[in-house]
Amino acid sequence: MLSAANAIPRYFLPWDRPWLPQVAAWLARDWQPDGPLDLSTTLAIVPTRQSARRLREALAEHAAACQSAVFPPRAHTPDTLLAACVPAGAVATRLESLLAWTEVLRHVEFGSVAAVFPVPPVRRDFGWARRTAEAFFQLQSQLTEGGLAFADVAARATHEAERWAQLALLERMQLTELAARGRREPHEALRAGARQPKLPAGITRVVLLGLPDPLALSLDLLLAWSREISVEVVVFGPASEADAFDGWGRPLPEVWSERRIELVDFEQRVHACANPSAEAERVVAMTQCYPSPDGSIGIGGANADVLLPLERALAQVSIAAYNPEGRRRKEGGFYSLLAALAELTRDPSFAAVAAFARCPEFCCYLQTAAAGDFTAATFLAQLDDLHARHLPVDLARALAVNRERDSALGVGLRLVEGIRAMLTRGEFPQNIMAALTLMVGARQLDLEEANDVIAADAMEMWRDVLGECAAAWASFPEISTAEWTEIALEAFGESRRTIDKPAGALDLQGWLELLWEDAPHLVVAGCNDGSLPDAVVGDAFLPEALRETLGLKSNAARFARDAYLLQALAASRANSGRLDLLFARQSAAGDPLRPSRLLLRCAEQALPARVEFLFRPLPAARAGAPWTRAWAMTPRRVAPPERVAVTGLRAWLACPFRFYLSHVLRMEPVDSSKTELDARDFSTLCHAALEAMGRAPFLRDCTEEKVLREFLVAELDRVAGARYGRDLTLPLVVQLESARQRLGKVATIQARERAEGWIGLRMEWAFALKIAGLEVRGKIDRVERHEGTGALRVLDYKTSDAATPPQKSHLRWARPDDDLRPAWRRTVAAGREQVWTDLQLPLYLRALAIEFPGTPVSCGYVNLPKAVGDTALVLWPELDESLQASAQACADGVAAAIRAGDFWPPVESAAERDPFAALFHHGVEASVAWEGTT
Amino acid sequence: MILASAGSGKTYALTNRFVALLAHGAAPERIVALTFTRKAAGEFFDEILGKLARAARDAVFAKQLAGDIGRPDMDASDFLRLLRAVVDAMPRLRLGTLDGFFARIVRAFPFELGLTGNFEILQEHAALVERRRLLRRMFSNGSAGLDEAQREFIEAFKRATFGAEEKQLARRLDGFLDEHLETFLAAPAAELWGNPACIWPDGSEWLTAEPGQVAEAVTTFRGQMAQRDLNEKQAGRFTAFFEALALWSAGAPLPRAISYLLENILDEWAHVRRGSAEITVERRKVMLGPDECRSVATIVRHIIGGELGRRLEITRGIHVILRSYESVYHDAVRREGRLTFGDVQRLLLPRPDGPMLGGEEENETGGRLMIDFRLDAQFDHWLLDEFQDTSFGQWSVLRNLIDEAVQDPTGARSFFCVGDVKQAIYRWREGDPNLFHEIFDHYNQAVPGTIAEQHLVASWRSGPAVIECVNAVFGRGDVLAGLFPGTASESWNRDWRAHESARPTLNGQVAWLHADDEAARFALTVRLLHELAPLERGLECAVLTQKNATATALADYLRREGGIPALAESDLHIATDNPLGAVLLALVQAAAHPGDRFAQEHLAMTPLRAVLDRDGLHTTEALTTRVLAQIHADGFERTMAFWLKRLEPQLAPNDLFSRERGRQFLAAAALFDATGGRSTADFVAFMERHVVRDADLAGVVKVLTIHKAKGLGFDVVLLPDLEGDRIDQRREGLAVQRTADRTVEWVLDLPAKLFFNHDETLAAHVRAAEMEACHEALALLYVAMTRAKRAMYLITSPPGKSVSRNYRMLLAETLGSSARPLTVGKLACVGAWATGDTGWHESIAPRAEEAARPSSPLTDGMAGIVPALRRPARRPSAGQSGCVSAAQILSAESGLAVQFGREVHALLAEVEWREMADPAEWTLCAATPRAVAEARACVAAPRLADVWERKAGLEVWRERVFEIVLDGAWITGVFDRVLVDRDGTGRVVSARVFDFKTERLPRSGEVKDAVLRHQGQINLYRRVVAVLTGLEPAAVCCELIFTHEGARATVPWP
Ligand code: SF4
Repeated sequence: MLSAANAIPRYFLPWDRPWLPQVAAWLARDWQPDGPLDLSTTLAIVPTRQSARRLREALAEHAAACQSAVFPPRAHTPDTLLAACVPAGAVATRLESLLAWTEVLRHVEFGSVAAVFPVPPVRRDFGWARRTAEAFFQLQSQLTEGGLAFADVAARATHEAERWAQLALLERMQLTELAARGRREPHEALRAGARQPKLPAGITRVVLLGLPDPLALSLDLLLAWSREISVEVVVFGPASEADAFDGWGRPLPEVWSERRIELVDFEQRVHACANPSAEAERVVAMTQCYPSPDGSIGIGGANADVLLPLERALAQVSIAAYNPEGRRRKEGGFYSLLAALAELTRDPSFAAVAAFARCPEFCCYLQTAAAGDFTAATFLAQLDDLHARHLPVDLARALAVNRERDSALGVGLRLVEGIRAMLTRGEFPQNIMAALTLMVGARQLDLEEANDVIAADAMEMWRDVLGECAAAWASFPEISTAEWTEIALEAFGESRRTIDKPAGALDLQGWLELLWEDAPHLVVAGCNDGSLPDAVVGDAFLPEALRETLGLKSNAARFARDAYLLQALAASRANSGRLDLLFARQSAAGDPLRPSRLLLRCAEQALPARVEFLFRPLPAARAGAPWTRAWAMTPRRVAPPERVAVTGLRAWLACPFRFYLSHVLRMEPVDSSKTELDARDFSTLCHAALEAMGRAPFLRDCTEEKVLREFLVAELDRVAGARYGRDLTLPLVVQLESARQRLGKVATIQARERAEGWIGLRMEWAFALKIAGLEVRGKIDRVERHEGTGALRVLDYKTSDAATPPQKSHLRWARPDDDLRPAWRRTVAAGREQVWTDLQLPLYLRALAIEFPGTPVSCGYVNLPKAVGDTALVLWPELDESLQASAQACADGVAAAIRAGDFWPPVESAAERDPFAALFHHGVEASVAWEGTT
Repeated sequence: MILASAGSGKTYALTNRFVALLAHGAAPERIVALTFTRKAAGEFFDEILGKLARAARDAVFAKQLAGDIGRPDMDASDFLRLLRAVVDAMPRLRLGTLDGFFARIVRAFPFELGLTGNFEILQEHAALVERRRLLRRMFSNGSAGLDEAQREFIEAFKRATFGAEEKQLARRLDGFLDEHLETFLAAPAAELWGNPACIWPDGSEWLTAEPGQVAEAVTTFRGQMAQRDLNEKQAGRFTAFFEALALWSAGAPLPRAISYLLENILDEWAHVRRGSAEITVERRKVMLGPDECRSVATIVRHIIGGELGRRLEITRGIHVILRSYESVYHDAVRREGRLTFGDVQRLLLPRPDGPMLGGEEENETGGRLMIDFRLDAQFDHWLLDEFQDTSFGQWSVLRNLIDEAVQDPTGARSFFCVGDVKQAIYRWREGDPNLFHEIFDHYNQAVPGTIAEQHLVASWRSGPAVIECVNAVFGRGDVLAGLFPGTASESWNRDWRAHESARPTLNGQVAWLHADDEAARFALTVRLLHELAPLERGLECAVLTQKNATATALADYLRREGGIPALAESDLHIATDNPLGAVLLALVQAAAHPGDRFAQEHLAMTPLRAVLDRDGLHTTEALTTRVLAQIHADGFERTMAFWLKRLEPQLAPNDLFSRERGRQFLAAAALFDATGGRSTADFVAFMERHVVRDADLAGVVKVLTIHKAKGLGFDVVLLPDLEGDRIDQRREGLAVQRTADRTVEWVLDLPAKLFFNHDETLAAHVRAAEMEACHEALALLYVAMTRAKRAMYLITSPPGKSVSRNYRMLLAETLGSSARPLTVGKLACVGAWATGDTGWHESIAPRAEEAARPSSPLTDGMAGIVPALRRPARRPSAGQSGCVSAAQILSAESGLAVQFGREVHALLAEVEWREMADPAEWTLCAATPRAVAEARACVAAPRLADVWERKAGLEVWRERVFEIVLDGAWITGVFDRVLVDRDGTGRVVSARVFDFKTERLPRSGEVKDAVLRHQGQINLYRRVVAVLTGLEPAAVCCELIFTHEGARATVPWP
């Protein structure tokens, strides 16, 4: 074919200045400026969309210089050219082609393709079929570049012949699947189109402009045309270099693999950077040297990974960047809405509901549909609340446990339910369209408002995707609605939104586009080996060896292309302008990276110095700034409370400041990941059962352990059922089991104690004490009276995992750093200095002393901890008058302190894991600015 | 096989080996060199290039290198050749990590390994999310209630937690998965877990007692003891024992009343079994005759058996739990192509049924994976680094490939490994130092001399002082043997070779100093650093600790108390370790959960509150609506960037730290966005876990763990964290007994010492485990003590206080324990041992900050630059305005309308003149009949006759694209149809512009507002035509053609 191509005239444009203006001038070379510059009969083949755009711009400028305008040439990239030559109609879309594959894969008899699938998939489901189809489709595309089908490979492959034979078989089946639906396989169509291409109407000449690696297949086509109309090749490079290119203007590997690349002031212009973000910062620094960067500096990335950091870095200094690649719609908001909808359809788990409920579109819908008497925020808050309370696993159960139907929650949930009903009942795609229209249909999009334009674009795209799916459905009826949704969602997510370049924005260009950049200063980031040149090493289907046998694009060809491009860029900026090349020593993920091999294409004797320069250890980074506090927290200050629960005193004793946060500001986190009972839920359940036991008159004198146990368990199940529904989730089953065990032990004790004469007197007896102006409220689990002595006893049920005796949970040994504490916190017990940590039982006694003056009262815990044999009734004999008195004094002190708003200083080290840790850094006291502290 | 002691130039040996292979004609891409860390891999490559480059330009060095690699004939030019060869082969080189290498193989064989298409490597966060997702799935239940699997799971969980009914399931479950999943994957078979038949193949005496016997034994023994004349203390012991025993059931903590006698009896267990024993009770012997022994034995067996039985049960329970999780995980995650590095490796493990990695020689059959072909490579030479850390699994994957190399008859291939068993501190990560000797023996038994062994003992890192100390401690085989009898010390002593310093002139100091408690040790660290002033002297300095937490705390302390720029090289939680990050997370939380009073108040405590107010977000409603919308539309990075910008002014101008954290926060957020997640909960979780490891920083004192210091060297090293109990403690967790070939024999949740101590099997297992732990602990100290180049200071509390065999005791036994005054420069301390020059540092002059290499001045070469012209781009039709409802866009009709419009335009573009229009041809083309009909009608419409009329001198432009610069803007547009009339001279006399509109006009047929809508666009066309034809704009006539109505409207020129 090369020989044939030799018939084609090649023109060379010198590379001592940028290419773009030259090529514009070349196209216009025999134009008389009295009329428009009419190139409409010319077909220009250019490497990328972006280069076509640049060409038109350059031509416009060229004409403008003579106050005229342009009828531009028709432009194609090699692949759009091929696509354009496919006779219209009957060709399957990418989607249909993929679906045909999935059909094949779902039904093929694996025995017949054992060489392709040595290990058959466990589940031969749609997901598997689709991912595999994707792989095969890609393989088809790669081969089609060289005009090959699987069968052609099978014919030529030296290795794995059997595997390829079977692949060919599979491909035939795919073609049949499509044929059966009256469709042609797109790759096959491309190849056919290239074989007898039809000349586009009105085209009299074709020019290949700066095209170092056209698709092989497109060349067959051009060769065919060259026999009827003029086909010309324009190469960026001096005529003296003619021998370095083949007839199509492709750099010759044998030449360029050996050739030196001339780079001026190498050590000044090649920059080793620690990592991509360091590269980005460097590029930004250069950009900022220009008053108007656009047009002065052209930025390119030799691999895609550097573009994102670049975009971010530029944005941080408020320089607009324009990525011609556009942005994947997956990153947009509309996609997340669709994803949420799909998830809700697939599986209405509570998580799915919660996610969907947080889509702004739903919130708006809720607001309007609910006639605005409450806000979305209320709904979300109530939703979290419902979750924390009832742990529903899915929508149905959420609806079931929700009491107030007309609350924001009730309304919201029903709306979700309604939408889900639409999605599940209706047919694809009407179902999802209906749901969307219901939610967002009313929204008015203002086409001058940026966000609305984006939304409009997304909706149009989605509409078209669905259109395509609907069309394809006719031929693939067996695919389920869910599968269609999956397909459509993916197609939408992968599509890209490209916009016109905003004025003044900087293009972030790919490597291949840089040739067409006419800015005098070029900066190329990401010049790392593996991306410049990009090299394929190891492949499941097409390893290098095979590529070469098949004449597909080989690493050698890639190397030649990139070597040439780099040389061209360097040369075109050598006299005026500048070229900077950056590479990273480490990827963002921390993998070591190497500089591009191209940077080492120098004279042999210069090589050692180059290597030492490029691989020199980078000066270690300076130490990061020392830890600095951005600000000290200033908590809201509210009036001290007038009443607290008994537990509040414990909290205050533990840490006055945390008490303020938890009991005064009522700071409480929402844990959306909660899947089981927390300690509080657990004890609530147990207490409910115990209370019921105590209140049940017929059990008052019961000494039958068994009866009591059965009652407790039944009661527990009733309460749990009422709160969490009848069918419990796995963790709850386990937890309730644990609760039953523990309650069972209480039954034992209860029976014994009753036999010994203790009779329940009060259950959950609520009291309130006025202490130093503070109302302290409490609820006593159980008050008993001894039928013999008439003595009273106070019992508190403890469900914490470890059984601690009252003394230990009320007092702790004094530490040297307690000295500052007020005296009333301290006491002497068990013959040593101790500190009050809780006042619960003493306060209970105090309350009872008022209720039953003069009666002797003892107190203790009934522990329901986990360890077998641990459950027991533990009294507190040591609590004598003096200790009780000291406790009273302490209570008075605490109450007074709370009333006085004395919540400072905090305790630095919280007892167990600190729920407020997120607020504190390097010291609690240091983290908070507490005005009014002395 | 190179056994390279610390600092003895391991890398040097490796790189030399690589160069040697090249020199002997090996192709670079045929050498596989594998290391453990990516960092090491990078450095390895740089070293090779550096070496070749230097040899290529420095004849002297070339000569030396040539000698070292056994090719004395080679000179600089030869090395230049090699350098070029390596450089050209760069992308094909196989220098990297084991993980990377395995991943690459798997990528090349997805189908053969049962994967579909490509797969992704699960990073830590992703793996965690997966786990959460799966657990939620396992937990939730269909309306049918729990299914079979779930019931089984619950039963298992009860067993696994027997005696400790769990209140909280999730945490415990996480624990199981974290601790035991690896074990499960190594030994999935149920019969290995808690199976007495595997543990005690010949039965266990503990599991023999039957309840009946026990009850009987208790009564008899009680009776027997009643008869004995015991003092009442003893009697009390027995009564207590029997009472407690009556209440006790397996699983309950063993009350002292029981354990007291139990221990004393077990002390005499051998005799008890023999039927005559003397047990001590209350310091007085009690004789037990045969009958008594029998009953006692039964009771003891009952107690121990009870506990063992429970442990067996627990172990089986754990297994079922892991299995149920695994089965779900496997289907939902691995099969979907999301793998961890561990999975990748397991995929490649040779299985009897599975395929096997192989090279070219083998015939293609036999289920071999031809890596040569698919990886475009053939591997002749293997270099393995840090071999002592290689796991048995990793070795199993490589074994066959390396076998091929080693057993290659031509001898043209080779295997080379470097490591140091004395530095094996990664056993807990499956590192398997025993491989070293096993492989050596394995190959050499087959063919003696297959593998040669070489010891490197000369340290190129450490000076004499350090080496002296290392030898003094680890050279004392006798002491080690005495302190740690058994295989630990044996294997240590076997591998030990006295070290020597290859830098005899490097002066420095080593001292073992005493400080009473942690506070004192930290304080002394500060004083030493002030005295030595390493940074001012340009010396690298490191403080090594055993735990990350200590490192972080100590670094904090050094900065705070010592004003020393210290940095804990442990991972930084950049999102949570500072108020800025914390409040940004609170913002997200507050927005997503309006009811979260914690987050709300958190915001209110910070400047962000004011910022929000200024943005009008006073209420939670406003906050939720706004921020959720932002996140939804732009993702987290942009949203956070937006608020960060707002917050920026609130930061102190000199607060570089918070700004740095801000940037790091955004970078992390971007990483999260890349996962495609929009869930606020996932985001917060991600950020809370996200860590940044500081790159190696100059000008700081590094505080890091010994593990992280492995492979690094520093001028000065301080070791203030060597405390701890006996170093031969078995690692917590399940006991896993393995055979010689590492297959698991049994797994057991080990009971407390009292219960296994007298069982040979279990005791033996524990002893072995302790030996391993001990060896690893020695290795850890060895690594710590070999990081220093010049000076090292060990700081511990004074010895003698405790008797536990820990580091302190080891030092005392080897270096001597008598405390005496010591000096470090001018600093007076107390310690037990010192060597070297106390003033070593004073000789090193404090040096001035040398300026960093001037990076190329940014602006040079920019001076003469003339910017290329750039104009705003516009399209006449673009910039459409007005409102449109979403419903309208979404409606299928609108889609069709757009397409319809396109078709009609396309069709009309085909029409040059009416008489040429060939409807027949239209109908052939892909357009819908509706479009064809409308186009046809439009052409036929009498009212439009002149639009299609052919006339002499009349030129037509159809669908003509134009480019023009107008009013400084670059405009691209398309004329639908233009008729240009020329006179005889070819001068244009008139031009008519027709623009086709396929939109439906409102009922009234009212065209006025249509004209209004479009006149901007049309008059632009008018001006363009004027430019193109040289006419006056006014002279150009412009009309709208409404294709549906076949109506027309002239657009006036204002
Ligand atoms: S990084 Fe975070 S967790 Fe670690 S020490 Fe600093 S503040 Fe604490």
